[in-house]
Formats: sequence, structure tokens, C-alpha cells
Amino acid sequence: MAEIAIGIDLGTSNTCVAMMQNGELKVLPNAFDERTSASVVHFREDGTVEVGNSAKAKVIHAPAHTICSAKRLIGRFYFSEEVKKAQAICAYEIVEAPNHGVRIQIRDEEFSLPEISAMVLREMKQIAERQTGEKVTKAVITVPAYFNDNQRQATKDAGRIAGLEVLRILNEPTAAALAYGFGMGLNQRVAVYDLGGGTFDISVLEIGKDVFEVLATCGDTFLGGDDFDDRILDLLADDFVGRYKINPRNDPYAFEKLKLASENAKKQLSIDDEVLIEIPSVLIGEDGQPMGLSRKLTRAEFGMLVQDLILRTFKVCDEALQQSDLTVRDLDGVILVGGPTRLPMIREAVTHYFQREPRTDVDPDEVVAMGAAIHAASLVGEVQDSMLLDVTPLDLRIGVAGGLAEPVIERNTPVPIEQTRTFTTVADYQESVQIRVYQGDHRLAEDNTMLGQFEFSGFKKGPRSDVRIDVTFEIDADGIVSVTASDQATGEQASTTISLSSGLDNDQIERMIEQDVAGRVVTADAPPAPPTSKLAAPAAKAVAPPRSALPSGPAAVLAPTRPAPAQPSVKPSAVIPVTPLVPVAQDDLDDFDDLEVDGELEILEEELEQLTQTRPQAPVAAPAPAPAQAEIDLDTVAVSEVDEDGFFDRSGNDLSAPDPDQKIG
Amino acid sequence: MATIDPLEITALARIMDELDYYQLLHVKPEASASEIRQAFHASSRHYHPDANRQLAADLREQCGRISKRITEAYCVLRDTRRRKAYDAKRSEGTSLRIQLAEARQAHSTQQNSERRGATAQGRQYHAKAETELKTGNVAAAIRHLQMALTFEANNVGFKAMLDELRARLKAAS
Repeated sequence: MAEIAIGIDLGTSNTCVAMMQNGELKVLPNAFDERTSASVVHFREDGTVEVGNSAKAKVIHAPAHTICSAKRLIGRFYFSEEVKKAQAICAYEIVEAPNHGVRIQIRDEEFSLPEISAMVLREMKQIAERQTGEKVTKAVITVPAYFNDNQRQATKDAGRIAGLEVLRILNEPTAAALAYGFGMGLNQRVAVYDLGGGTFDISVLEIGKDVFEVLATCGDTFLGGDDFDDRILDLLADDFVGRYKINPRNDPYAFEKLKLASENAKKQLSIDDEVLIEIPSVLIGEDGQPMGLSRKLTRAEFGMLVQDLILRTFKVCDEALQQSDLTVRDLDGVILVGGPTRLPMIREAVTHYFQREPRTDVDPDEVVAMGAAIHAASLVGEVQDSMLLDVTPLDLRIGVAGGLAEPVIERNTPVPIEQTRTFTTVADYQESVQIRVYQGDHRLAEDNTMLGQFEFSGFKKGPRSDVRIDVTFEIDADGIVSVTASDQATGEQASTTISLSSGLDNDQIERMIEQDVAGRVVTADAPPAPPTSKLAAPAAKAVAPPRSALPSGPAAVLAPTRPAPAQPSVKPSAVIPVTPLVPVAQDDLDDFDDLEVDGELEILEEELEQLTQTRPQAPVAAPAPAPAQAEIDLDTVAVSEVDEDGFFDRSGNDLSAPDPDQKIG
Repeated sequence: MATIDPLEITALARIMDELDYYQLLHVKPEASASEIRQAFHASSRHYHPDANRQLAADLREQCGRISKRITEAYCVLRDTRRRKAYDAKRSEGTSLRIQLAEARQAHSTQQNSERRGATAQGRQYHAKAETELKTGNVAAAIRHLQMALTFEANNVGFKAMLDELRARLKAAS
């Protein structure tokens, strides 16, 4: 028999595990016969951990020790918007770790996000082991297609910490398409509309028999079912404020009750046209009387509340179709994925947009895990193989002089792929260069997500025209990035698999595996007998010793930093020890004309002003000769023109300074 | 599993650098988009990392390199603009490969130089003409364009713009 390999859909709200056994594809239910488990981790007093729907029930009583929606935080920097947002609404404590990492503090211990996710994954591993009676060590784990490298790497780390060999990090929509089309010999173009708890993805695929090629994928990592709940929550909270003049949002307990009520109301509206939301006691007043809430919500009313969110998904769909060079008429099918797609208003909107009824014959909560299970089985040779040809969702960029980030591999490029670019230094006889790698659509480095940086000094030093540094960028089939810098002249190279915001280096992960952090998870293996009792005490009481807080250790191989504030673009000509790179061997300056600056004109104009102040005004009548192309140092060049198309020239002497007072003869 | 002769993998890994993208994908230089896609699928079936888990480490490494190169070839050939830039480079005989970013830019750079000038001076006077146009001074814009054309006598974009401005001036008077 082939090895056992499971597929796990690690969701923001719920997690589902499936596997293929003897040619049969099945979702593995937990001890309570639930086919999905809440992605919630509760830390008990005794140091053990429970995961799933019973843990979710603890949110109300122990919100500070119960972690929900960890997926929203995984692979993020402490200073990111998403972390700030979570800090505002989550009752558990989010603290900063070295290198701008994120940790969650539970009592006197700190946990990284990969550790929290590892606990959810361990629960799935144990569910699978209980179902099969065999050891399970291999898994395919899915992530939103729009996850960046940091998030993918952190998820992969979570798998390792959970004791799983991660065979593949697979994109959720791709997995869903596989679940629909596997073994059917289809010849179709399909769109996968994937609205999860916290993220939205759309992928357009071409299926040719057993080859699933992703043509384009687009997404919004800030849009999901939780946002729909929040709209109801706001409505309820405002009602409450109107009635009692107290804001229930300030009380974690009250907040969680409103949140759960909102979620339930949303789910109920998938079935009924109208729900009555009743919370007998949101807060207890000073007089000891409960302050309750009762409100009717109709489906139409809810539709109004979330209309803008639904419309936002279609903007993303427009983009994906455009990127794949197709229109809705070219599609043969639409697949719905994610719990929120059960909402009738979403089904209607999707039908309207795509001009066809979406396919709903597989449960939208399970389809991703099933696809992952098929792929897992295919990778271990359990079933005939199907080829998944996926793409990278974001531009991969390198930081160059002037605070810019130049694209090296564009989004929607198939993976695995490798590209090598050649760069030189900013100054003559420069000692080292700093290689900074970003992901994102923005021309300005600081507007993108930094994946990592490292210093390279193993090149042949010399006048900058002689220095040649090859930087190789690789994106593997998991969508994970690695970068190598080398100099053919010296044969030296420096490299890194970029992994930053999981904040974990290999030693730390090894330590977590050794300490068996995920071993704290106690999986229930029998449902509680009487429904009145509290959850049955688990049979296996593997109480893990409390672990001392993670050693902060020496800085990770890569020192992650907050993306630097816009650097002054005109640098002194003195020795610059570590400076960004300058691209060479391109039609150099003209390259820069063609990069778009979406919505960034304001920033550029500021920069422009700064530059014109620091730069001596060139006499208008006598333009200096154009410098030899390869010699131009982007660092000392001024932004000279921003035209109405958003193009701008970054060139030294070929345009006069844009001084509005200068009259041109 | 798509099994492939190990010898074939090693041989291809060795000669890969001497093949152009068409040879790599086993298609004719005049192949259609759908032929190229099919060829990419067929090659991926052999060399994609998912298809090679059972192979020895060194063969997997070779497959990995081939797979990345195949993807590169496909990325260039499936995109009309990139393919055009690549064909030009290939016929010059300078290189069998082209960087994705470079192939994308080759085209737009050409377009851009037509629109805004290929020389520093040409661009400068063209920019001045644009500035004057914004304030409605067509006559001044024409003077600047004429200057721009002294540096780039053959710039089609400049000529077209000049003609249009002259027509506009005539209509106004």
C-alpha cells in the first residue's frame, strides 16, 4: 500500500482534513462527527491545548486564552495593518518579537503564529490517525492563492512544527478545481470564486484532461466572511449604544457574544429570509440588571449592509479575467468555494456576473480539502497523477537605488521559475551591497512587502562599471522564494531562502519540533456522552511541560527590518558602505519609463519637490550631453518629469528641472 | 507517474543552454499559441517537480532546472509581445534566452521612444511642447516640436504630433 498522505484546508475560520484511501476520497470527521473543525486554539489552565469547535465555545469565557483567526496574522509583520486591526478587536495579547515578528502571549508564555497554526494542524493529523489507525506524517496544506512568500513559508513551518512533512503548499482555488475536474477528462476553462473566512481569491484555470493550468489568480487578503459578520456586529453594537449609551465593543466578553450572534445570524440568513437576533444579556448593568438586545434582520437588509463587499470581489474578478485574456463568455464553468458562498445574495451576484449558474455540487467547505487530498495521493503515487501548473500571485521585486523596487518576475508567471539579473554598485570600489527582495505591485519599495534582505560582499571590487553581480531569483512550486547573489569573477555567492515574518529561523523551528509544542494538543477521541456535561476529559492526557519562552537567540540569518522610509534620493558622494543596487545590462534608463506608478503620484511629487530643492538648477538653454547609458547612477539622478500618464523620467540631464516658474523660450 | 528515461533527463540538463525556447519545447518556430501550450503541458508532465518525487536527488535537481527553463520558455512564447522581442533577439544570434522583464520592456521601450523621443534632447523638447500644450500655447508647442525633430528627424510620433498641432493652429486661425 502506498504511504498515507492527507490534504488539509487550513482555513481562517474552519479547518478540514481529507484523504484518499483505496481510491475513495473522504473527508475525515472529528470525534464529534463534525466534518470541519473551528481553527480555534484554546489554552487550558494546565498547559494543554484544545482545538476545534469546543475550543471556539471557550471564546466567550476565556477570550484571552483562545486564539481565533490566527491565519489573518500568520506571516505578517508586527507593524502591519492587519496586526493593528487584530489588536483592536482580539482579546488575546499580541506582542512584538525580535525582527518585527508577532507573538501571542498566553499567561507567561509566548507563541509564534506558526506554532498556533501547528496546533490546528496537529489536531487534523490526530483526527486522521484516529480514523485510519495509522501514523500520518505527510500532508498537502492549502493556502489562499494570494498569500505572499512570508505567509507561505510560515504555513510550511507550521506543518513542520506539527510533525508533518509538507509535500506541497497548494493554492486553495487550484485545489478546488482539482476536486471538480479530477479524473473527468475535462477540456474547460473555469473560474474558481473562493470567498473564505478572511480572504478572497479568484483563479482562472484551463483544464486539459489531467493538466490544470492556472491562467491567472487575483485576490484580496483583507476580505472575507468575517467582514460580513462585522457588518452585522456593527449594526448590533450601534443599536446597543443607542439604547443603553454604553459601547459593548469595549468589553471583550460582550464583544465576543455579539460576534457569535452576528455569525449565526449570517448563517441563518442563508436559509431563512429573516432572523431574530436575541441576546438576553450582552452586559450586566450597574444595577445588576442584564442589558439585552433583540433585533430582526432581513436578508434584504443584510444584502444592503454587505453590498460593497460583494462588489469588491467582482473588481478582483475583472482583474483576473483581464490578466488571463478572457471574458466571462470564454468560461465553461464557475466553482464556488468557502462558507460565505452559501449566502443566496452571493450566489445571485455570482450568477449575474458570470452569466451562468455556479456549480455547487461539492460542499464549498470541503472542496478545498478534497482537492488537497487528491494531490497528496497523487504525490505519493496512490492515484494516477494530475499535473497542477500554478502561478505566482504577486510581482517579485528587487530594491534598487532611489527607494524603488524593480520587478523581476511578474505576477501570474507560472512556477517553478528562475530569473537572473545583473547589477552593479552605486559607487566605485563599493565594499558590499544590500540585496532587498519585495513582493507587491508597487514601484516604491516601501509600499511592497519586504520578504528579506541580505548583504553580499563577495564580488570583485572595482570601478562600478566593472562590477557585475548576478542575482538569481527562484520561485518554487510551493510559491516560496529564494534569492542568490553571486559574482562569476570571484565564484563567490551568498544566498537565502527568504523567510522573515514567520520570524523563525531553522534552529528555532528545530527547537519547537524537539519540544513538541504541537504535542500539547489533546484531541478528543470520543464525543461527550451526556450533552449537559462539559467536554469529556480526553483519554490521552499528554500534559506537556510548560515551555520557557522562546529563546530570542541571535538575530535570524536575515535581519528583517521595517521597510525603510523613503530615502533621500540624492546621496552625498562620500563612501557609501551599504547601498542599494543599480541594474545594468538593460536599456537602462528607458526601463524606468515604463513602470507604472499606480496611485503613487502624490508620493512621487513630494519626492520630486525634495529633489528639485537639493539639485542645482540646470540652465535651460544648454542641456548637458546625455551621459553614457551604463554609467548613469540612479542614485544621483533626479525625478524630472511626471506626466499625466503616470510615467516619469528618471534621468540625469536630459530634462530640465520642472520648475513651474521657468519660462521656456 | 510519468516515467522518463534518466538518461534523457541528464542529457537534456546538459545541453539545455544550447537550445532555444522552441527547441526546448519541441515546437516549430511558427507554432501557434495552442501548440505551445500543449507542448508546455507535455514537457511539464515529465519535468515538473510533482512528477519526479520518486527519482534520485541528483535527477530531481536536473529535472528542477529543466522545469524552470521550460516555464521560462513558455512565459516568453505564450505572450505575443515577448515572443516578438525574443524572435528578434534570436535572429540576431546574440542569445538563446531573454529575461522576462527585458522582453516585456523591449516592446514598450520602442513605443515609448516613438512617443516621447529616443534622444535626451528630443525628449527634452518634446516635454517642453507638452508643457506648452497644457497651457494652450500651440504655437510654442510647435516650435519645441520642430526643435525636437532636429535631433530625431525620423521620429514618427513627433511628426504625427507636429502635423496635428499645425492642423489645430490652422483651424483656430
